Amino acid sequence: KQWYQRRVVISAGNVVDNFERREDSNKRVIGTLLGRYDKGTVIISESFAVPHQETDEEVSMDMEYANRIGELQKKVNTNLYTVGWYSSGIVINEHSSLIHAFYKCQCPTPVHLTVDTQFKEQKMKINTHISLPIGVKGGSEGCIFTPVQYTVQGSEAEQVSLKFFNGLKLNKKSPNFNDREQLLSNCTDMLSQLNLVLDHVKKVLSGSVVPDKELGRQLMEVVQSVPNLDTDTTTNMLNSHMQDLLAVEYLTYLTRQQLAINARINQVL
Amino acid sequence: SKQWYQRRVAITAGEYKSYLSTMAGHEEKLFESIQCVEITSQVIMKITRHSQHELEKQLDPHVNGVLLGLINENKGVLEVTHCFPLMNNEIDEDIETNREYQLEMERSLRLVNIDYQQVGFYQSTYLNTHCDRNFLENVFVYLEEMKEAIAVIYDPLKTKLGNLNIRAFKLSLPAFRLYREEKDFTATMLKDNSLTFENLFKEIPVMVKNSALTNVLLCEIDRIQESTACLTLPTSSYLEKSMQMLLSGLDEVNQDLQKINLHQRNVYKQQQQLLQNVQKRKIENAQREKDGLNPLPEEDFSKQFKPPPPLGRLEPLLSSNRIAAHCEMIEEHVRNGIGKLYLADSFMS
Repeated sequence: KQWYQRRVVISAGNVVDNFERREDSNKRVIGTLLGRYDKGTVIISESFAVPHQETDEEVSMDMEYANRIGELQKKVNTNLYTVGWYSSGIVINEHSSLIHAFYKCQCPTPVHLTVDTQFKEQKMKINTHISLPIGVKGGSEGCIFTPVQYTVQGSEAEQVSLKFFNGLKLNKKSPNFNDREQLLSNCTDMLSQLNLVLDHVKKVLSGSVVPDKELGRQLMEVVQSVPNLDTDTTTNMLNSHMQDLLAVEYLTYLTRQQLAINARINQVL
Repeated sequence: SKQWYQRRVAITAGEYKSYLSTMAGHEEKLFESIQCVEITSQVIMKITRHSQHELEKQLDPHVNGVLLGLINENKGVLEVTHCFPLMNNEIDEDIETNREYQLEMERSLRLVNIDYQQVGFYQSTYLNTHCDRNFLENVFVYLEEMKEAIAVIYDPLKTKLGNLNIRAFKLSLPAFRLYREEKDFTATMLKDNSLTFENLFKEIPVMVKNSALTNVLLCEIDRIQESTACLTLPTSSYLEKSMQMLLSGLDEVNQDLQKINLHQRNVYKQQQQLLQNVQKRKIENAQREKDGLNPLPEEDFSKQFKPPPPLGRLEPLLSSNRIAAHCEMIEEHVRNGIGKLYLADSFMS
C-alpha cells in the first residue's frame, strides 16, 4: 500500500523549535504528530513535544505526558488524532522501533517523521517512514522503516504567510506588514518571473536553446488566458471600476471628518 | 499625644502619596517599555492554521488563544515564541475546560523547556469588528496581571486576499487607569484624561524574527505552492462587506447622537422644573407674608429633581474606533485596488 502524506509546515517547525530548546544531554527530541486520515492519505496538521531521555543503552519517554497532552489537544482541536511521531536527526535505530511500538498502540499505522537538524547532507532533509514487519514468522522478526512519499500543502492563508516569510530568509530583515509593501514585493516577483520567461523565449527564437514542446504549450495557455476583448469594452470596464473605487475613497474621507466632529462632542457635553 | 498622633498620620499619608506616585511612575515605565513585538513565523503559522481549521467548520468564527513568550527588557522587545488555541466560550463548560486546559498546558510546557509565561492573547477578526466591550475587558484583564501584555489581532479575510495581516494592540495608559476605576466612562472623565477614540488603543509594531534553524527550514520548504492571491483585482465582495460594516457603524453613531439629544433635553427640562418650583415657593411665601402667616421653608428641591445620570461614553468610543478602522481598511484596499486595475489594463491593452 502506498501512503501519500500531506504535511503542513507547522510540524517541521515544531521539531526545529523543540530541538533548539532541548536539554543538553539529549542528542535528539521526539514528539507526537496529530492529524487525520483521508482515503489513503495521512494529513499531518499539528504536533507537540514529549519529554524523553536517551542514552546509548536505554531510552525512556514520558508516556503519561503523551497521553495526557494528546487528550487535551483532541478536546481543543476536534477531529485530530494521533497519526505518528517525529524525531530530529536522521538516525533510526532500535530505540526508534521501541518508541514506534508505543505509538502503534495509539493508531494503526503510525508515521515516523524525521527532520535532519544536523545537516548530514548539507541541507535539512525531511523524511517520512512507516514501519513494516520483516523476517521469518516464528524465527527472527523485526521491522523495517520504509520511506514514504510526502508533499507539503497548505491552505491559501498559509501559502500567503509562507510567501510573506520569503523576505526573511535571505537578508534576515523583518518584512513590513504594510499592505503596499507586500503588493510591491509581489509585483517585483511577477516581473522577475516574466523576465525569466521572456529570456527563455528569446533564446529559443535565436536558436541557442532547444525548444520544449510541453513548455511551449504551457506558454500558449498563459498567453491565451488574458481575456481578448476589444479596447472599448476594457476601457469602459476599467473606468467604471476606477470610478467606484474613487467614490468609495471620497466617502471614507467624509466619514473621517464626521468622526472627528463627533469626537468633539465629548468635549462639549 | 494627639498632636503626635496627628503628626504620625501626616507622615504616613505623605509616605503613602510618594509610594503611590512611584508606583504610578513604575507602572508608566512598564507600560511604555515595549516598543516592538517580535513574533516567530511558527506562531504565525499556528494562528493561521487554527483560524483556517475553525473557518472550515463554521462560516464566521472567532478564534482566540493564548500567546506565550518572554520580555527582553534591554531592547524593549516582547518576544512571542509559542501559542496555543483556546476553545470558544460559547457554553459554560467550555470556560471551565479552558481554564483547566491553560493550567495543564502551562505545567506541561515547562517540562519541554518552552516559555510558559503568558504574554497576551490572540484573536481573529472579521473586517475589524473585534473592537467591542469583550475585547476591551480581555485586554484589561491581561494588562492587570502583566503590564506588558499585548493582544494580537489576525485578519483571515485580508490574508486570503493576499496581505498577511497581524497587528498588536494594548490599552493606552490613561484608558487603562480610567477603566480600572470606572467600568463606564462619562464625558467629563474623558475630557479630564484627554481620551479620544484615537488614543484608546495603542498599536505596537510587529516584526517577524526567526532562529537560524527555522530560516533553514523555510528555505527547504521554499516555493511549494506559489500564491497569487495578492494580485487579485478589487472586484470581490470584500469592498461591499466593508461598506456595509461602515454603514452599520454609522447607524450606531447616529443612534448615540439621538440619545445625547434626548439626554440634553431631559436635563434642560429638569432644570426648568426646578426653577419653576423655586419661583412658586417664593411667590407662596410672599403671599403668606401678606397674609401674616409664617413663611414656608425654602426646601432644597434639588434632591427631588435629581438630574438624569450622565451617559456612558464607552460604547460610542468603541464604535468610533471601529468606524475609523473600517475607513482605514477601505482606503488601503482602494489604493492598492487602483494600482492593480492599472496593472490589469496594461495586460489587456
